[in-house]
Amino acid sequence: MNEMNCKDCAAWLHPYLDNELEVEMAVRVSQHIATCAECKAKLAEMQALCEGIRNHVPYHSAPELLQRRIMSKINREKSFSTKKWIAPAFSAAALATSVILYFAIPSGQDMLVDEVVSSHVRSLMEQHLTDVASSDKHTVKPWFAGKIDFSPPVYDLKEQGYPLLGGRLDYIRHQNVAALSYKRNKHIINLFIMPNNASDSVIHTTSKRGFNIVSWQKNNMAFEAASDLNKQELEAFAQMIISQH
Amino acid sequence: MKAHNESAKRFEQLILPHLNAAHNLARWLLKDAVAAQDVVQESSLRAFAAIDRFADGNARAWFLTIVRNQCYTWLKASGGKHYVDIDDEASMNEHDILAVSHTETPEVLAAKMQDAAAMQRALETLPGPFREVIILKELEEMSYKEIASVTEVPIGTVMSRLARGREMLKKELLAKL
Repeated sequence: MNEMNCKDCAAWLHPYLDNELEVEMAVRVSQHIATCAECKAKLAEMQALCEGIRNHVPYHSAPELLQRRIMSKINREKSFSTKKWIAPAFSAAALATSVILYFAIPSGQDMLVDEVVSSHVRSLMEQHLTDVASSDKHTVKPWFAGKIDFSPPVYDLKEQGYPLLGGRLDYIRHQNVAALSYKRNKHIINLFIMPNNASDSVIHTTSKRGFNIVSWQKNNMAFEAASDLNKQELEAFAQMIISQH
Repeated sequence: MKAHNESAKRFEQLILPHLNAAHNLARWLLKDAVAAQDVVQESSLRAFAAIDRFADGNARAWFLTIVRNQCYTWLKASGGKHYVDIDDEASMNEHDILAVSHTETPEVLAAKMQDAAAMQRALETLPGPFREVIILKELEEMSYKEIASVTEVPIGTVMSRLARGREMLKKELLAKL
């Protein structure tokens, strides 16, 4: 191995000092320094300089406020990007959801009609059309007293071709309701009467599961007439009831 | 939203631990306390914006590269008042450095090296390319390879800049006796 001269040693002195030399080269530098006082002094001088820098040059740590400033900027950027992208996406999602809800979840009226139809069907299937079988409104109406906290209007429409069959208690939309049964030829009509606070309304006809339902509102009571009777005759029935009270 | 939170988490884990190094480098390159904070903040936001593109690796070197570039951008924008172009390196005469190397006693130099104010002044007079390698080497204890990565020059250039920067610093210390 060639002996290193002072010029070569000066070239490798700094990486030697910084431990950046390959082992072989580092050995050569150290061998030269061991025999050369001038290069040895030069190395010591530079070591002292580097120590001086490390020990006496101020290290400028980041102020604590700077970190908080940066993090708040980043979080603000987060909310900014939320506003920019997520918010429209969210409102679109919300809109989509509300549309889905609008179609998927039946309105109060739909649920009412559903229950009315179910109750109507049940009354026919269970042979439980009436609790009080009477065509006399003076028998039926008092029967409800004490069973429900409102007084349903009871009319016999026998003369109009809609004889009253009787009355019973039913349960719709989480409340006790009065159910009156009428007959039109071979068709049964269930008239459900329940108290509520809505204002009077004209009749509204829907159909569900093959049944027609005519709804209206009068004197703080909701009326729901359900039957397999045709729509015209059921609506005529409804108008008769309305005209009676 | 989730992606943003992950970016923020990555930023906190990878970048935030090197905020002191970033500020120290910026402070030494800019020699301006207010500008250093502004540049570090700007660099942090840039690092955050690019954090998803940062593959696993040396986060400190990656962040300091951004900080250094932002520093030089700021120096250029500030009207070149503080700016020393890398090309100035070539104009610096090596004979000037060598001329003083044997003229002063080691005792005087040793005393100067213990003087924090003198050290700081001397370091501040060094051109940026020399100042930055000394800061990264001595204060951040980075390897040549890391310094080369931050300063975007070959390792050999890091080596020669460090050697010459130290000689210049010594000369500066002795010149201000």
